[in-house]
Amino acid sequence: MKSTKFWVILLAAVLILSLAASLLVLRGRGGACACVYQDGRLTRTVDLSQVSEPFTFTVEGPAGTNTVQVEPGRIRVSATDCPDQVCVHQGWISTGVFPIVCLPNRLVIQIEDSPPDSNLDGVTQ
Amino acid sequence: MKTLRIFSFFLAVLSLSGCAVSLPEQSKTLLAMDTVMNLTIYGDTDDTALSRAEDLIYELEDLLSTTDEQSELYALNQGESVTLSPPVRDVLDQALALCSDTGGALDITIYPVVRAWGFTTSTYQVPDRDTLSALLERVDYSQVHLTGDTLTLPEGMELDLGAVAKGYASDQVAGLFRACGIDCAQIDLGGSIQVLGNSPDGDPWRIGIRDPEGESAEDYVAVVETADQAVVTSGMYERNFEQDGVRYGHIIDPSTGYPADHGLASVTVISPSATLADALSTALFVMGRDRAAEYWRSRDDFEFVLIGEDGSITISQGIADSFSLAGEQGSLSFEVIRR
Repeated sequence: MKSTKFWVILLAAVLILSLAASLLVLRGRGGACACVYQDGRLTRTVDLSQVSEPFTFTVEGPAGTNTVQVEPGRIRVSATDCPDQVCVHQGWISTGVFPIVCLPNRLVIQIEDSPPDSNLDGVTQ
Repeated sequence: MKTLRIFSFFLAVLSLSGCAVSLPEQSKTLLAMDTVMNLTIYGDTDDTALSRAEDLIYELEDLLSTTDEQSELYALNQGESVTLSPPVRDVLDQALALCSDTGGALDITIYPVVRAWGFTTSTYQVPDRDTLSALLERVDYSQVHLTGDTLTLPEGMELDLGAVAKGYASDQVAGLFRACGIDCAQIDLGGSIQVLGNSPDGDPWRIGIRDPEGESAEDYVAVVETADQAVVTSGMYERNFEQDGVRYGHIIDPSTGYPADHGLASVTVISPSATLADALSTALFVMGRDRAAEYWRSRDDFEFVLIGEDGSITISQGIADSFSLAGEQGSLSFEVIRR
């Protein structure tokens, strides 16, 4: 009886510890990073946890300009030249669930916790 | 027995998935010119190509070393009159043309000044102003004149081809590989990289640019996709020392005798010529951002990536479509300089 209890407690402890560890690992570097991709290339990163003052920047694409607005913890496309305005209507994002996509301008804004994995052939130094 | 069968099944699956599309690969690592070199060739090729490339590199090292007492360069620096062998003549011609074209931002006669700072021996010191101005009087690439194939340096003048030797060696190896019918290869001479063709998977090669603030080459800030180009970086992090709270880098501005200090942490040059890329990575570092951009507008045979000490990134228009951030940093963007 006593030994069963011991194993249950041990297993529970292991379970809780591993859960805590995986949470720590999965949450990773602390703070979400908004990655701006143009035509599949990462062209700007914004650490949303480090934003204290709101600011905007623009992105040029084949269909014109997107104006991107950044506030602490969130990001959106506030204006665009393209006719459908889908990216503007998507509004603010603050999690990695849905990226903002502007197809005419080949723009994707994706919130990521860890840097994208890129396979390299070499590093110049 | 059953375990063994399952195990071998897994092994078979693993090996299949690993080799599905890869070309035959041969590589060689060697130590030369004070650095680690990696040569890799892909495809069904002449299996003597790598050893011939190795011989070629050692031969160039012997000719171009400033410290080897048997080298032609050493003899020149002793004030001897030297009949130059064709490769030395060729490097010198290319280097002198670039010294002139960069208005002296590159100067292969800077060697006595570099030595006074201790960068040649790693016994670093800040020379006093009088010493530097005396040494600077002997620094002037325009005084180097070849008569036929014979060269005698003016009294007290010394040459260092360190800013072009690796690039030149890389170009020679690339030429040798092409002559062997190799159209897919990577020549990595201590972080100066030259690629032939596309990468073995058929896409452009993906070359990372080292983070100047990073601890090792595993930390990179950006990626350039490229084919048939050399990608060469000069950085403050390569060699420097600190004295009285000031950090001194190894790239000396020939106009002042002091380390170039225009707020740049590293310069990467991308060009079909590794010699050009090597020389210009030094010259643009000396020029600083604005002069580098101006110089770029005067030529059409290279592109650049400048990383500032403040982490800012500036690239030239020609690589805007093949440049991307690595995403390792918090907040980062880059500026594109246009023609």
